[in-house]
Amino acid sequence: MGKLERIAAQQDRAAGRGLSRRGFLSAAVGSAFLFGFAREGRAAQVYPLGSPLPPPAFEPNIWCSVAPDGTINVNIIRAEMGQHIGTALAQIIADEMEADWDKVKITYVDTDPKWGLMITGASWSVWLTWDLFRQTGAAARTVLVEEGARLLGVPAAHCHARKGIVTDGTRSISFGDIVAKARPARSFTPEQLKALPLKPASERRVIGKQVKSLDIPPKTTGAAIYGIDAKIDGMVYGRPKMPPTRYGSKVISVDDTEAKKVRGYIRYIVLDDPSDTVPGWVVVLASSYPAAIKATDLLKVEWTPGKTAHVTEKDILDRGREQIAHRDGGTMIFDDKGVDDVFKGAHRVVEKEYTCASVMHYQLEPMNAVAQLKDGIWEIHCGNQWQTLFLPVIAKALGEPESKVKMMSYLLGGGFGRRLNGDYAVPAALASKAIGGKPVKLILTRSDDMMFDSIRSPSVQVVRAALNEQNAIVGFQHHASAGWPTEVMAAAFMEKGVDGKPYDQFAIAGADSWYDFGPMRVRALSNDLAKETFRPGWLRSVSAGWTPWAQECFIDEVAHEIGKDPVAFRLEMLNGNGPEGRNKGKAPDSAGGALRQAAVLKRVAEKAGWGKPLPKDTALGVATTFGQERAMPTWTAGIVRVHVDRKTGVVTCEKIWLVLDAGTIVDPDGALAQTEGGALWGLSMALCESSEIVDGTCKDRNLDTYTPLRMPDVPEMDIEFVESTEKPMGLGEPGVTTIGAAIGNAVFDAVGIRLRHMPIRPADVLAALKEKGDA
Amino acid sequence: MIKFKLNGRDVSLDVPEDTPLLWAIRDDLGLTGTKFGCGVGQCGACTVHVGGRATRSCITPVSAVEGADVVTIEGLDPNGEHVLQVAWRDIQVPQCGYCQSGQIMQAASLLKDYPDPTDEDIDGVMGGSLCRCMTYIRIRKAIKQAAAAMKSAENGGEHSHG
Amino acid sequence: MIKRILGVGVGAGILGGLGFLWYAWYPALPKIDPPKASQFSAEKIERGRIVAAESYCVECHTRQDGHAGPTLAGDYKMVSPFGAIYSSNITPDPETGIGNWSEDAFRRALQLGVSRDGSHLLPAFVYDHFTKMSDADISDLYAWIMTRPAVHMTHRQNDFPLSVTPRIGLAGWKLLYFTPGRYKPDPKHDAEWNRGAYLAEGAAHCGACHTPRGLLGAEKLPGYAYDGGAVDGWTAPPLNEKNPTPVVWTENELYQYLRNGVAPLHGPAGGPMSPVAHDFLATVPESDVHAIAHYFASVDHADERVAGDAAAIKQAMEDSKRDLIGFNTDPDARLYQGACAACHYNAAPAPVLGRPELALNSALWLDEPTDLYLIMMRGLSNKEGQTGVAMPSFYNALSDHDMARIAAYLRRTRTNMPPWTDLDRKAAEARKLVEEPPVNSSH
Ligand code: FES
Ligand code: FES
Repeated sequence: MGKLERIAAQQDRAAGRGLSRRGFLSAAVGSAFLFGFAREGRAAQVYPLGSPLPPPAFEPNIWCSVAPDGTINVNIIRAEMGQHIGTALAQIIADEMEADWDKVKITYVDTDPKWGLMITGASWSVWLTWDLFRQTGAAARTVLVEEGARLLGVPAAHCHARKGIVTDGTRSISFGDIVAKARPARSFTPEQLKALPLKPASERRVIGKQVKSLDIPPKTTGAAIYGIDAKIDGMVYGRPKMPPTRYGSKVISVDDTEAKKVRGYIRYIVLDDPSDTVPGWVVVLASSYPAAIKATDLLKVEWTPGKTAHVTEKDILDRGREQIAHRDGGTMIFDDKGVDDVFKGAHRVVEKEYTCASVMHYQLEPMNAVAQLKDGIWEIHCGNQWQTLFLPVIAKALGEPESKVKMMSYLLGGGFGRRLNGDYAVPAALASKAIGGKPVKLILTRSDDMMFDSIRSPSVQVVRAALNEQNAIVGFQHHASAGWPTEVMAAAFMEKGVDGKPYDQFAIAGADSWYDFGPMRVRALSNDLAKETFRPGWLRSVSAGWTPWAQECFIDEVAHEIGKDPVAFRLEMLNGNGPEGRNKGKAPDSAGGALRQAAVLKRVAEKAGWGKPLPKDTALGVATTFGQERAMPTWTAGIVRVHVDRKTGVVTCEKIWLVLDAGTIVDPDGALAQTEGGALWGLSMALCESSEIVDGTCKDRNLDTYTPLRMPDVPEMDIEFVESTEKPMGLGEPGVTTIGAAIGNAVFDAVGIRLRHMPIRPADVLAALKEKGDA
Repeated sequence: MIKFKLNGRDVSLDVPEDTPLLWAIRDDLGLTGTKFGCGVGQCGACTVHVGGRATRSCITPVSAVEGADVVTIEGLDPNGEHVLQVAWRDIQVPQCGYCQSGQIMQAASLLKDYPDPTDEDIDGVMGGSLCRCMTYIRIRKAIKQAAAAMKSAENGGEHSHG
Repeated sequence: MIKRILGVGVGAGILGGLGFLWYAWYPALPKIDPPKASQFSAEKIERGRIVAAESYCVECHTRQDGHAGPTLAGDYKMVSPFGAIYSSNITPDPETGIGNWSEDAFRRALQLGVSRDGSHLLPAFVYDHFTKMSDADISDLYAWIMTRPAVHMTHRQNDFPLSVTPRIGLAGWKLLYFTPGRYKPDPKHDAEWNRGAYLAEGAAHCGACHTPRGLLGAEKLPGYAYDGGAVDGWTAPPLNEKNPTPVVWTENELYQYLRNGVAPLHGPAGGPMSPVAHDFLATVPESDVHAIAHYFASVDHADERVAGDAAAIKQAMEDSKRDLIGFNTDPDARLYQGACAACHYNAAPAPVLGRPELALNSALWLDEPTDLYLIMMRGLSNKEGQTGVAMPSFYNALSDHDMARIAAYLRRTRTNMPPWTDLDRKAAEARKLVEEPPVNSSH
């Protein structure tokens, strides 16, 4: 069972749903094949825009259909938030089906149990759908060739499909004509599906080819519809009045005397939320959104704040330090035999602490949702990344069975993990419920949005290496404490450590590296103070955005201490060896193991001219990772060139080189775009953006103080993908992972100061230079 | 009643004078291509043209455009074929796309003022338009491509849109 | 909106008044039946319209706060330290307006500051300038006013406490500060100059805002003419060589500004200056606007100073892009980039019209940041400044501290003036001057 299947099964068990949703890769597909033409569920979004979908004549399964005019529709259950995921997934089906790409449309579907697990995150989509969609395409092709051959009156074995046409070499018939005339309805069992022969990589005609992303044109004309654009006749507008703390605030009194003076003000609602998603919220309703903005400002609410009202970022970091200092506690991800012994017998132990600040999502579209009760069904209109997770929460808040809630899909104005957490739909649903199910459009202003953000938790990490007399690393420990998003929002999804305890894989992945360090201990700790103060969130590349900050900076520190070249030192340890042979890799996902990581590292060093002299105060820094997680590695190596201005402390990143091995690249331009965006996120979090918890919430409320990377900050970039026919891995996140540490390492090389807190601010640089005595 | 021209049509609105132009356009006039990002004039997602100049609609009251000519992304070119839109599609600039209406409207102003923009001009003018997906490299490239297309259209005497 | 023309002085002036009965006494002039429109030729009325536009009568005699009132019916609120004064109804309504004023009475009011009934008028009515107007112009103006629609409207009672005391007290102030007399052409200058001076000193009453006022509220003359003053909380910049902007107000800059509301180098007219251009000077003969521009180009010695402009523009173009290019982590620069630069960035050789160059704009060079603050908070409608384009209102978008950061940053990087002080507090004070937030935006 794949990891996601396992997760789905866990979730089903937790929800007491038996097997209904599990194993969607097999069961759901198989059964879908049996229900032929059934078409349920309204589709919210069809791309490309323009003509509506023609009625299908052939639906080999729920994932795709062929219409008499040859239009091929592919149903997409993933959220579109900029990864052009619909295009990449449709490419997989179209390729295997031998479809004409120009006839392919995609539909982003609404929630329906038949789709199985609806989640878009962790760079999983392509990896997760690869086998299923190839099988689906193959099934469709098989049927179309058989039926086409029958119509042409030739043996199927003499025919093949190409570009939407079945031909025996002399005569041919289009897919559209085949389905119009033959109305095929053949079904496949899961076993038959798996047994279908798939095309060899050399025969691929759509996968790996440059195509135009189907979702892009409407995004250049204003025609694309996002959650915030949802419109329902008669809807009223809502804006929350945010309580002072994320949890535990209680409303004492509300005074709307002033709010009433606003033209269009309707009323306020003190939300009663059985799901405890939005405790202490008051929602203001008005006939227009500007009226809601103004009335909310004028509404006076008194709360008893929750107990975290005075927590600071430092309190949380200190709590993390305390946890790490304790031997007990946390979950062991690796706890190799003999790790304590090597440390005891070490010639030398190096230990360093690294910290990372709070980071906010600032997805450009602020949180919003429209909710209404229509024909007995609660409709929730919004962009969301994990419908399967939040639909039950919304149902619970409403006090309705899950079957009475439906989420309608829209484009997402940025996800980055923020919309894995669907908490924002709950207040919209509750506000609608309070007015009898009438449609309510709830929009958070940016300051509301930021106050409500599920931030990337601040983190503390302690890394230790045991060195022998030859200065080789013979044992390694990595301890990380942070708020755990999965524990808070999807506990059933947590994995089990080697000690049997649950842990949040998204709060440690990255530390469980592929280096041969000898025996390793990797320990993840849930920072309880963080969890009480805010709702930790998944944020682009999750822990892989910060665990390499510790580990990859640390390796550099050790390399410098023992006088080794940082690249050579890493290559020595990326040898495929390690306890229990775990760094050898396993097909199909991690075939080749650490040696593939070594290969990208070598390549990037070569490209960047590693080792060549550079101007004063300018240096290269390197880091390498396996992308987002061990089980589906995207082998990644990055080098940055930075210049440090000793006078101002400003660190400028002049160039980024990245080499990635993500297996087969399905949509090359989409892959490049994702990696460009990821790398710049990495840069932004290393040098430009961070927040800080003050009095229980992040101090930043908008762009006046929160300062993500902008156009002029962009360095030159050189990104390369290793050519490969291995199974495709994800690319949404790996671009982020190496940048922070590479910059930290480059700064050290440039001016000799080691900064162990991310982001790196000019003041930190100046202080460190001063301490070093050469400001 | 506040009256102005939106994408060449006369419109009139019965809304309070301090209503932000953004919400008037999106909710009262039903054109949702213009987006709400920061609400404080610092991200550019809401950029429209007032009198041909890029203007942040989230903090512009409708009273300030009484009688003015307002153009949104939907009206930049009747067929969505403005040189910038063509370049944007060609280079596949948008990711999530949420910022892109604003980026294109801002870029249109940039090209009007600086038909052959340097990297500095692009930094200076486009630096105010946040793209959280970080499509900046492609935005820069697309602007340059559009500028080149404009130039060759001029030289070739061919008619260009917008 | 030109308010607060008179400061403290009006009240104080009264103190000196009592001993001057002989000086102060004027008879009431007889009431007349309102003149008929047919009495005046169309040409005369048109000439009168121009005189009225050049004196901005409508601006101060039409209610503006809350909802706009009927034209010329008064009730325009002017704030003084002693309370509000409301302007009078000057439509030809016999009861509440000036319908039964003869031309003589009208002329006496303008030239001597005396009402038809013989009482002294508050110098909020700038007869210290109107006294320079020719009889002919006043006669034309009378024709225009008397042919406007009569509006029956009483204005609100002044809060001004001393206004109930005999206005005779004002005579003392007048004795000290008021010199009646028509404009006398200066033979050293040509006709255009004299025409400009006649308009600027007289009808257009430029000094009312642009000349500083002394303790008793009168313009500090002579010696300080056009050194800059204050109006409605705004700074009216100096119109002489003390004007601090790095490029000179040349005749062309002045003309464009006065005629179209925007000067190519200095930027748009904001605040109380905007209606002067748009509502009035845009509607009078071009030659008159040229004359005013010509006059002020001489007042500020533009010719002698203009040689420095090329270097100043070059410098400004350099400064304009400062911190916007390449990586920058200065949080203030980033704030400026996000909020302002998209519209205010400029590149050599010169600013683009519609992209006001802050490095050249007087708002950054004045002694106080108030004008900068007010323009940020209020923005500009498409009818103000450069016609057709609008500047957003940052009232809700930037906190006092954010405003202060931008002000400090711009002053530091775009001028060579000493830093402004106490910027957060001054932002809060400027905010109070904006009676209603112009835009209901989020934050
Ligand atoms: S929404 Fe208007 S600038 Fe951000
Ligand atoms: S494309 Fe997503 S914010 Fe720019």
